[in-house]
Amino acid sequence: MALQPPSPQTNVPRNDVGNVVDAMLLDSRVRWISVVFDSVSSDVERFTVTPFIKDPATNR
Amino acid sequence: MRTRLLPLLAAALLAGCATQQMAGDQLARVAKDWSLGIRASQVIPVYPLTEDVQPGDVFLVQTPIEAQVAVYLDKGFLPLENLVTRLSPSGYSRFYRGWPQLDDGDRAPPRPWQFPDPASADSDFSRAPIAAFPTYSFSVSRSAGLNVAIPVQSVPVGLNLLDSASANGTITLKDAFTYGLPARTLYDSIQRWCNENEGYLKQYEPAAASGDKSSADRFYLRVINRVYLVKTVDVSLFSNRGFGAGASAQVPQAVQLLNLANATEAAKQFDAVNELLSKANASQPASVPEATAESSRSAGASVKLAMATSRSVSLVETFRRPLVIGYLATDYPIEAGGKCAAPVPTLSVLEGRAVNTGKPIEYTGCDENCQRIRTWIRQGGNQQRLETWLVQNAGSIAIADFLTGDYARLREKMVNELIEGQ
Repeated sequence: MALQPPSPQTNVPRNDVGNVVDAMLLDSRVRWISVVFDSVSSDVERFTVTPFIKDPATNR
Repeated sequence: MRTRLLPLLAAALLAGCATQQMAGDQLARVAKDWSLGIRASQVIPVYPLTEDVQPGDVFLVQTPIEAQVAVYLDKGFLPLENLVTRLSPSGYSRFYRGWPQLDDGDRAPPRPWQFPDPASADSDFSRAPIAAFPTYSFSVSRSAGLNVAIPVQSVPVGLNLLDSASANGTITLKDAFTYGLPARTLYDSIQRWCNENEGYLKQYEPAAASGDKSSADRFYLRVINRVYLVKTVDVSLFSNRGFGAGASAQVPQAVQLLNLANATEAAKQFDAVNELLSKANASQPASVPEATAESSRSAGASVKLAMATSRSVSLVETFRRPLVIGYLATDYPIEAGGKCAAPVPTLSVLEGRAVNTGKPIEYTGCDENCQRIRTWIRQGGNQQRLETWLVQNAGSIAIADFLTGDYARLREKMVNELIEGQ
């Protein structure tokens, strides 16, 4: 049984976005990942990282 | 009057003989119209109607997901291609705790309602969870032959009683029931089945030749987790024929079914029609397997005239036992090596909703164990070992979730067992 697809993660600090994306891409079904700015707190920019197994634009 | 009714009823009840002559597209259109009505209730339609579909049924679906959407939009329903297995999931007693008569095993739904008395073929769904459907409207015409493929025989019967070439109508699905199991329960059952049948499923793994996942034909296991059944169908038909228009050259003259000016005569006509319908119902075999469109018309159903005027008729059709008209299901893509991937709700895929990769989780930072795992997983073979461990110990959560989600104790356990334990 394969693992569940990775979930979107919120409040990811800029310096760890790369590692989170890296971990999401360990799942070969993930083909698109969006990184969207979320907020700034204590001078740390935070992002929401969302993996997709289908093209979110066309749903294909 | 009675003698004038006979040829009309005979034409209606023998309409099945015309099936061979009907154009394929006419049959498909009727199936689609019916299915679109059911689909509007967020239920995937079953066509033809059958009682032999239940939660835990696993179908092998070959259609690629993109084509599947096209088929669904075109036909209105999804063909259930190959029944692979029928899981016998336990969990009804827990899910329906306190519900009378229900249990797992031989007392699992729908048996206690389907055959409350093993010696009798009559059902008793009075204790089943009830459901309600809206009234569906439709148009029907016999210009291209009677639409006998519609899943209820009241429609062609009513059309002939109306003596009209076309009509508008409504179908009310009464005595509707539903039962199911949570997808989580079935997940465990299908997971076990997949693990035990990897060899069988391997023949359906994605074709590696194309190398392009988006174009590869993929197979899915469609696991049904809820079904909807209906026992009684009310059909009302309103003739499109205008007042005084008379009958066409090929249609016999109209029969005045109800004339309130002569109540005694009207009552006689009602009795006569219902007697004829009753005889016709009795002449149909009640135990025909309901696996084909042909048999879906009979299905041990009885039709009774409930109301009639010169321009409308209402009929009540009651199936001998409730029939499944729709279902909810989950699709499990078959992956390389015959493994079953994470489930996707069938309806979400068909309705074109974005495929959810899971609810958002809060990033909780990368603690010491997370750092160790990130380094360890890069070494040959460790990713596969971690995946196996997550399947066995952590409900198959994704590695990304495991690393930076709220799983500190789980990471500690994993480090102790896989990294420290090496």
